[in-house]
Amino acid sequence: MSNDLLIIEDNEQNLYLMRFLLEKKGFTVIAAENGRAGIDKALEHKPLAILLDIQLPEMDGYAVAAELLKHKELEGIPIIAVTSYAMVGDRERILAAGATGYIEKPINPDTFVTEIKQYFRENTADREE
Amino acid sequence: MQFIILFIVQLFFLCFNILSLNADERTVKVGIYENAPKVFTDESGRPSGIFIDIIENIAKNEGWHLTYIRGTWVEGLDRLTKGEIDLMPDVAYTADRERIYSFHKIPALSSWYQVYVPRGSNIRSILDLEKKRILVLERSVQEAAFTRLSKGFGLNSTIISLPDYDTMFETVARGDADAAITNRFYGIMHAEKFGLEDTTVVFEPSDLFFAATQGKSKLLLDTIDSHLANLKKDSQSIYYKSLKKWTSEEVRFKFPVWLKILGLSAAIVLLISIIGSIVLKRQVNARTIELQKTQKFFMNIVEFLPDATFVIDQDKKIIAWNQACELMTGVKKEALLDQSNYAYAEPFFNEKRPILIDLINMPAPEIEATYKYVQRKDNRIYAESFSPQLRGGKGAYLWIVASPLFDQDGKRCGAIESIRDVTEQKLIEEALRESERKYREVVTLANSIILRWSPDGEILFMNKFGLEFFGYTGTELLGQKLMETIVPESDSTGRDLRPLMGNICSEPERFKRNVNENIKKNGEHVWIDWANKVLLDEQGQAEEILSIGSDITEQKKADDKIRQLNNELQRHAEFLEQRVAERTSELAAAMEKAQEADRIKSAFLATMSHELRTPLNSIIGFTGILLQRLAGPLNNEQDKQLTMIQNSSRHLLSLINDVLDISKIEAGQLELSYQSFSLRSSIENTVKLIRPLAEKKNIGIWQEISGNVENITADQRRIEQIILNLLNNAVKFTKKGEIFISCNIENGLCHLSVSDTGIGIEQEDIQKLFQPFHQIDSGTSRKTEGTGLGLSICKKVLDLMGGSISVRSKIGEGSTFTIKFPTAMEDTL
Repeated sequence: MSNDLLIIEDNEQNLYLMRFLLEKKGFTVIAAENGRAGIDKALEHKPLAILLDIQLPEMDGYAVAAELLKHKELEGIPIIAVTSYAMVGDRERILAAGATGYIEKPINPDTFVTEIKQYFRENTADREE
Repeated sequence: MQFIILFIVQLFFLCFNILSLNADERTVKVGIYENAPKVFTDESGRPSGIFIDIIENIAKNEGWHLTYIRGTWVEGLDRLTKGEIDLMPDVAYTADRERIYSFHKIPALSSWYQVYVPRGSNIRSILDLEKKRILVLERSVQEAAFTRLSKGFGLNSTIISLPDYDTMFETVARGDADAAITNRFYGIMHAEKFGLEDTTVVFEPSDLFFAATQGKSKLLLDTIDSHLANLKKDSQSIYYKSLKKWTSEEVRFKFPVWLKILGLSAAIVLLISIIGSIVLKRQVNARTIELQKTQKFFMNIVEFLPDATFVIDQDKKIIAWNQACELMTGVKKEALLDQSNYAYAEPFFNEKRPILIDLINMPAPEIEATYKYVQRKDNRIYAESFSPQLRGGKGAYLWIVASPLFDQDGKRCGAIESIRDVTEQKLIEEALRESERKYREVVTLANSIILRWSPDGEILFMNKFGLEFFGYTGTELLGQKLMETIVPESDSTGRDLRPLMGNICSEPERFKRNVNENIKKNGEHVWIDWANKVLLDEQGQAEEILSIGSDITEQKKADDKIRQLNNELQRHAEFLEQRVAERTSELAAAMEKAQEADRIKSAFLATMSHELRTPLNSIIGFTGILLQRLAGPLNNEQDKQLTMIQNSSRHLLSLINDVLDISKIEAGQLELSYQSFSLRSSIENTVKLIRPLAEKKNIGIWQEISGNVENITADQRRIEQIILNLLNNAVKFTKKGEIFISCNIENGLCHLSVSDTGIGIEQEDIQKLFQPFHQIDSGTSRKTEGTGLGLSICKKVLDLMGGSISVRSKIGEGSTFTIKFPTAMEDTL
């Protein structure tokens, strides 16, 4: 079983922050700086989860989520939106677009990994059973 | 025939009487009174008149000496009664008088009474005398007769007796009485002089005699009779000369011809009868049979006639009374044939008196002068009459024609009268006249202009109202052109009225109703609503136009005023509409602007939020990493400063969140997101979040969640935000002690309280707690952090949820914030 997490994020600092927190907890982080590359890497690595920023160059997070959902082979991989879009309706709109989870930026570094883990730990637990 | 024989016998006796007359000279006292032309005193003071001519002629022949005693009629009669005079002339025979006076046998004159009225009066028949003042001669036969007659007709008239005829006529002429009754002789002579005329009211035919004192004067009277017989036989006698002189009555001239013929025949018959009665009798019988045959033939013809017809002989004896007569009057011929003495008048007029047939002998000029209702053509006379007793008492109008009859030798042998009932025609005429009168009245008096004009525009008629309205007299307007009088060439609206008349004639339907301006004589313009009716001739050409108009000038003025006001109103309304449209578009533009500004604001907020969070993510994230010693060990000072960075960034973040929230709320953009969740878990998680902060300050957090607090439907994120806010505040404002959170659900309403043992809130500050940007102790010296937006956001969100927030507090002891909100989504949200 892969230990990979895919982060699709164009902001270098935010990507570094998440990668740092996750790698500290033993995950392998694969990063993509735009949506197209993110989709390709997801198909290539079949990660445990995909952390997806919404504001991305060229192809935004909504389009990426929709594209990811089209691929049967990616079925069951949670897509967790990590975004600065915190206005009314953003959360609902993102979940409706196919994201499994929603984490508002700024993230809480104390609880971030725990929050992430609850999405795929459950999946892993399902699989283990 | 019987008549002739009777006459022969009478003549025989008369001749004998004359021969045996006593020729003794004697004085005869004769009463006279004023009743011209029968008896009166002439201008030279001499007694005069018909009766005087007769008696003087007799006196001359008899050698009498006549003495005249003058007086009124009544005085004369009184003198006669007392025997102061021997003879009173002009006395009508009545049964009553015969008891007082003696009469000779042969009438000196025949007369009747007639009603005279002022020329041009409306009195025509007896019924017109109702309620009129009628003059009669005192104690005369006419007084009694007229009283009887008027009673018979149920008349209610005033009968006034006067002593002489002249006074009576004068009184009527003066207008002090309505009618006078005199004998026909007086009337013929005097009516014209007094400006009076005769009427059809003729009654009481009477024979006039010389009357003598009762029982004393038989010889005197017989002598008068014998002379009268002779006088009447001779057309050249003083008798006829007198009549002619006083009355111009040529009737009497013809009468003697008849008498002469009869007398001659009688003489012959007498001669023959003396010479050889048997031969004569045979001849008479043969002649009689022949006559009877002829008579029978003519009677059949008469019987056949459809009009009521009767025939009389020269002796005024009825010799035919046809079936139509019987039908009309109800009197059978058996009851009338051979009757004389005006018997034929009774079935029609209820009295025996002269009627039309009796006027045949009167000369035409005299009929014309005295009987204006009688027309004459050749020897026939015609008259219209009214009989109150016919038609079962309803009365009948009659058209009567009478004509003399002549024998083969052209001699008069009688007269015929035909009577036609014209009541129906008369009633129809009457109805027509009445309808014509009403029509005339309507036209004259109508409050409309009634106008008749010819197709070439000439005014033929205009009623009184119309003339007065336009200010013209009839003579000014009639025959004039409409165009030159009441129709102007064009009206004030500029409409050309010149073709109007032609249009009305050529298009009657279209111009049946036409409103146009007209002009009065004084130049005043008026508006008339005309109804036009074009009357067509037999060829269908307009013959005449009847126009009825009403003045609608005032109405028109009012209409114009209304129209003007309406126009003004409409202009005003249009102006207002324009203003409204302008304002609406201004508002729309402003609205669009506002919406645009709103969109820009929302976009700005969204961008701001996003762009602020991205760097904050790094600041908060890396500070956390460093403080967790994930990047390596930290000394105490580093830890302390990084903690300060962390607190500052968290505060910045909550500030951003609060500003966003309050902006959204104020823009009405804050929307609630309802979903079902476990309230218990939300509370526990929030407490778990705040617990590290509280433990740092050594503050204990206790919770008491009632057993019924489970899944509810609400905006989970907002509820958690509010609970966190309250717990945060409690921790923030408490230095030591405890925080207590409790929750239970009652009747679908969640009650959640957060109590602390903090500094407490002044009572006067409690009201300001929930206003934005308000923090108690605000200013540079504030003891605690916070933007002061939290509670105001809590209150706004709870208001949106249909909930509430309240606070109880005591300074130095602590505060309790309680929120209430429905646990199920309300329809109204």
